[in-house]
Amino acid sequence: MSTTDDLPNSEPLETRFNSIALQDEEQEQPESSSRLQAQPPEEESLCRSVNGDGILEIRRVDGDGGTRNGCGWRRTNSELEMDGPSSPSSSGYAGERGTSGEDDEIVEISNDVAVMDSQLPWTPGKRHVDEDDASISWRKRKKHFFILSYSGKPIYSRYGDELKLAGFSATLQAIISFVENGGDRVKLVRAGKHQVIFLVKGPIYLVCISCTEEPYESLRGQLELIYGQMILILTKSVNRCFEKNPKFDMTPLLGGTDVVFSSLIHSFSWNPATFLHAYTCLPLAYATRQAAGAILHDVADSGVLFAILMCKHKVVSLVGAQKASLHPDDMLLLSNFITSSDSFRTSESFSPICLPRYNPMAFLYAYVHYFDVDTYLVLLTTSSDAFYHLKDCRIRIEMVLLKSNVLSEVQRSMLDGGMRVEELPGCLLPHSASPRLGQHKQSTDSLERFREPFVGIGGPAGLWHFIYRSIYLDQYVASEFSSPINSPRQQKRLYRAYRKLYASMHDIGNGSHKTQFRRDENYVLLCWVTPDFELYAAFDPLADKALAIKTCNRVCQWIKDVENEIFLLGASPFSW
Amino acid sequence: MGCSSSLPGRSSEQLGGLNNNPETNGVSDAKNLRVKLVLLGDSGVGKSCIVLRFVRGQFDPTSKVTIGASFLSQTIALQDSTTVKFEIWDTAGQERYAALAPLYYRGAAVGVVVYDITSPESFNKAQYWVKELQKHGSPDIVLALVGNKADLHEKREVPVQDGIDYAEKNGMFFIETSAKTADNINQLFEEIAKRIPRPSTSS
Repeated sequence: MSTTDDLPNSEPLETRFNSIALQDEEQEQPESSSRLQAQPPEEESLCRSVNGDGILEIRRVDGDGGTRNGCGWRRTNSELEMDGPSSPSSSGYAGERGTSGEDDEIVEISNDVAVMDSQLPWTPGKRHVDEDDASISWRKRKKHFFILSYSGKPIYSRYGDELKLAGFSATLQAIISFVENGGDRVKLVRAGKHQVIFLVKGPIYLVCISCTEEPYESLRGQLELIYGQMILILTKSVNRCFEKNPKFDMTPLLGGTDVVFSSLIHSFSWNPATFLHAYTCLPLAYATRQAAGAILHDVADSGVLFAILMCKHKVVSLVGAQKASLHPDDMLLLSNFITSSDSFRTSESFSPICLPRYNPMAFLYAYVHYFDVDTYLVLLTTSSDAFYHLKDCRIRIEMVLLKSNVLSEVQRSMLDGGMRVEELPGCLLPHSASPRLGQHKQSTDSLERFREPFVGIGGPAGLWHFIYRSIYLDQYVASEFSSPINSPRQQKRLYRAYRKLYASMHDIGNGSHKTQFRRDENYVLLCWVTPDFELYAAFDPLADKALAIKTCNRVCQWIKDVENEIFLLGASPFSW
Repeated sequence: MGCSSSLPGRSSEQLGGLNNNPETNGVSDAKNLRVKLVLLGDSGVGKSCIVLRFVRGQFDPTSKVTIGASFLSQTIALQDSTTVKFEIWDTAGQERYAALAPLYYRGAAVGVVVYDITSPESFNKAQYWVKELQKHGSPDIVLALVGNKADLHEKREVPVQDGIDYAEKNGMFFIETSAKTADNINQLFEEIAKRIPRPSTSS
């Protein structure tokens, strides 16, 4: 929505704040600015984006009264406190919590939002179930996700006990329905450092409350994925339950799936597939992947809709029946569902699952079998009684995979890892290429980096990391993390930066921008979009621009040279 | 079961069940039986734990929610030198899978309905499953009622007698087990094996 990122002029905060509180669709003309010119540091551009977005965006549906509405929303918290509870559909629940403005309270403590989660290793499953909206710790969480029904019943909350959050959930519902009653739709509320993002999917409401400074489009995309994950478990026909009974309680239907949602939310911070809408392959010799593909193809001919061989979140090979296409988002949600549910590892299973992009209304049946700790086969079919057939298929596949050493190659590839920036060909002596970078590391590096047992210097020209996304293949490849992007926290921060970059490059009306060069105190980020591929690269913050561009060209050449191994070529049943 | 509409249609065609394996229903010979067994019951009563204890001799206290249904098999030898191969469908107890249960219990020769002796609610749920199997299961299905978590006797809320009475009224075999201590797990399956009708010699 917000194209204001691109506004070249940066008015003082206050004036912008008031004037763009509400934007008509027509007013959102992109204003051309050249990304090629030196960008302001990240801090500054972020400020402008906050100003530009205003405190609240409402998609205007009716014609007039925009400005007046905008002013009203400008003081959003106080008005809602008065109007919310009296809105017709917020019955009951709002009363439980009284009329105190939760949003206000979150803002109050937003200055010390240093919740310690990021330091701890991630454990599956829901944490902090003992919390509710009255807990200080709950309010300090940086990123909340909620699913609720249009009658305000909580369905899922990332933190805390859904039952105890009934009042809070009703408040969210009241905000949404208050705006809907006016013929509008609320998309985003800004309150201090916090953004509240709303997504309405029929009777299901999804809300994200975040102070992570991620762009609206990213957070909205995350809500879309959470909704998709729910559809994968239940299909969209769950909507009918609400037609019969608006007060329908959906929580029992999602029983035991906390771990699926928490794993998806966790993947927002480590899996680029969550914003690239592409999948990634495990690097393998071309012949090895061909061998796997051939046997999967055999099986697909015998009435299997999709046959997918994966290792963790990486594809080894996959085949679809004729004309059947699999969306990368469906693959992400499917692999998240399977890898987060431990019971699949115990024994072979046969379960109904729905692929939201393939057909959100119907279940498919998934035969799932783990060959080893990380490698699993998924056979999808439309036939509910195909289990024994699929089991036979699996036995055939397993025999071929063992015979052709595919499984051991897969394990070896897991150990070896993928592309490393240090190995970028064409630069024999990265040290001598940019001695200045080495010196910089000595002088300004944080203590954290010194504590690393081995301090590398990344790739040539200060290249730290890259992601390359092939448009035609719907696949991406990301380099392995290397020094200095070593800790999960640094990796998370880099992915956030990429996501921001992705959002700004894919902004509506921003199609003319093909490259972006952005320097801040953490990185130099370089993005290059062509009709064939997108390249995202992170460099040392002191990297030389010309050298960085040259290096990106070399990365692209490198990827071309090894595309046989890093991508699944030929069989591309993808389209949408 | 509020969401049965979200689940696939109940057309007879779709519910052909998971018994298309040519070998499953058919019995290889009178000495070597193959038996389809389905476990049903509320979520968290320990169905998967019972199966894993029986099939692999393992017990994992961390609860892993079953998705859809898991398939495992185990063969036991009886004293009369017959062997019985159980092909076990360990179904998910979650509500959203309830409407899919026919997919798994169609054609089953044995239905094992499990409850948790510390949870009266799960005992009620067990009775629901017994009725469902009596109505829609195979006519000659062998039914067993299992009170699991017998090791938690200090937390017991379902008296043994209630289980015995209900099982007797419904012509079921009853046993209390503990997957944790392995108590009565093998006995459960051995007892079932003895009760399976033997194929007539003509087969």
